Amino acid sequence: MNKDILIIGGGIAGMQASLDLGDMGLQVHLVEKLTCIGGKMAQLDKTFPTNDCAI
Amino acid sequence: MVEKVTGSKGDFTVIVRKKARYVNEDLCTGCGACAEKCPTTVPDDYEMGLGNRKAIYRHYAQGIPSVFCIDPDYCRTFQGKKCGVCQKICQAKAIDYKQEDKVLELKVGAIILATGYDLFDATRISEYGYGRLANVVNSMEFERLSSASGPTEGHVKRPSDLRDHNLIKTKEKSLKKSTRTLAKYEKKHKMSTADFYKQFTAGNISDGDEFEKWVKQYENVREATRKLEELKARAEKFDIATRLAFIQCVGSRDFRFNKYCSSYCCMHSIKEAMMAKDHDARTEAYIFNMDLRTVGKGFEEYKVRGAEKLGLHYVRGRVAEITQDENENPIIWYEETTSQEVKSLTVDLAVLAVACEAPRGIEKVAELVGVALDHNRFFKTAPLNPLDTTVPGIFVCGCAQGPVDIPESVAQASSAASRAAEVIWQSTIEYGESHWKKKNPE
Ligand SMILES: Cc1cc2nc3c(=O)[nH]c(=O)nc-3n(C[C@H](O)[C@H](O)[C@H](O)COP(=O)(O)OP(=O)(O)OC[C@H]3O[C@@H](n4cnc5c(N)ncnc54)[C@H](O)[C@@H]3O)c2cc1C
Ligand code: SF4
Ligand code: SF4
Repeated sequence: MNKDILIIGGGIAGMQASLDLGDMGLQVHLVEKLTCIGGKMAQLDKTFPTNDCAI
Repeated sequence: MVEKVTGSKGDFTVIVRKKARYVNEDLCTGCGACAEKCPTTVPDDYEMGLGNRKAIYRHYAQGIPSVFCIDPDYCRTFQGKKCGVCQKICQAKAIDYKQEDKVLELKVGAIILATGYDLFDATRISEYGYGRLANVVNSMEFERLSSASGPTEGHVKRPSDLRDHNLIKTKEKSLKKSTRTLAKYEKKHKMSTADFYKQFTAGNISDGDEFEKWVKQYENVREATRKLEELKARAEKFDIATRLAFIQCVGSRDFRFNKYCSSYCCMHSIKEAMMAKDHDARTEAYIFNMDLRTVGKGFEEYKVRGAEKLGLHYVRGRVAEITQDENENPIIWYEETTSQEVKSLTVDLAVLAVACEAPRGIEKVAELVGVALDHNRFFKTAPLNPLDTTVPGIFVCGCAQGPVDIPESVAQASSAASRAAEVIWQSTIEYGESHWKKKNPE
């Protein structure tokens, strides 16, 4: 029986899922093909609908 | 990269290749001294090629992990040339050209696919001129051009002006060099170049190899100076792009490419127009759309605010073609469907709201984990189980399952996390029960 979880892709979706699982006390392995996590959202300055800063 | 997945729900074995960074993660302090001194400049993907990075780099400044990484495709050491500058400069002794990939075996109970999306390649719509007309960019390029931390510090420059600016710099450099050569002749022959040229053309100086060269050099310098002045005069005419056209549904809702609506691009174009207006009040932004799809909490109000408070122009009609005038300003040709007239509008910059497409390589991921794709190449899900793939214990969230914006990606991610946790808790309970039964036979 394995308790860990694998997440493929470290954009906003993969990051959020990792954080939630971490909060539940589970061990997550996050695999990202680029050198940093963040995905497309990291390229955005501000985001709709609030125009808040993305990072 | 994930290389192999075997097993089933509750009991997967995964082989992952951890790529070498050629920088020791435990030692690198993220100071960036290496990148500052690295002699190799590379177009920066993060800046959509509008800026440069070094061969040793970080994807973006705030990126996590904040460790640097060498790009072996460009690094001189890996390309068989002499360098090693970064290793010399790094105080933490973190540079390790011999670092190797690591292959890890992971045992997991559940898998979440969050591989996201790629931008539609707008060169496929040749009538929009992307890649051919300098001042037609895609939406992500515009995001970088209008970002305060981007290559132009948030001043929306036209790519043609950025190109000219770079050209002026290189021309100035080579002109300086040629002028220095002239100075050498002047010193040697104790005569100003202008005087020499007058005398030479009047036939007062007999020809010789060196004089020929001097004349040639002088003529070249004169021509280069004239061209440089011309370029500078042209560059002076343009400051920043204030007339903007946003072209919606580029590669979406188009029978030739993707039939689906990419869902978030109407909203991001409104946002981009708002940002530009915020940065420079002179901005006039035109959003060409078949209909503006602003479905989401607070989205319709956002659109209305854009028009009423900021004066954004929403133009109803699909753009047919983009051409350009003699100043490389894009001309947008369209039918205004409300008046049924064919019209054109000249702007400084055209921004293509490109579709959200399943990423290149998604077929390989699908094959590795054994899940099916749908007819649009996103991971297949069912309407009543929107985050379950076709394999039990493997879930999906965000744009990996289809185009969604950030709020929706986050909501899906939290649900996929719960679904995955359910698998773990369930097998924990089952495991506990069977263990208990073994210990306590009836
Ligand atoms: C120009 C533009 C502006 C936008 N503005 C907004 C906005 O203001 N507000 C908003 O709500 N939405 C906006 N969006 C939409 C937003 O970008 C997406 O909703 C969001 O980024 C989706 O996140 P994601 O994690 O699903 O995908 P991504 O951000 O694409 O992340 C996927 C990650 O997975 C990695 N990956 C892919 N394949 C693999 C693999 N095989 N192995 C390992 N890793 C892999 C990728 O490198 C990437 O890091 C905008 C989109 C565009 C194009
Ligand atoms: S060795 Fe490679 S990464 Fe290091 S400074 Fe030289 S070119 Fe740049
Ligand atoms: S969100 Fe708007 S621009 Fe994007 S495909 Fe749908 S209708 Fe077209």
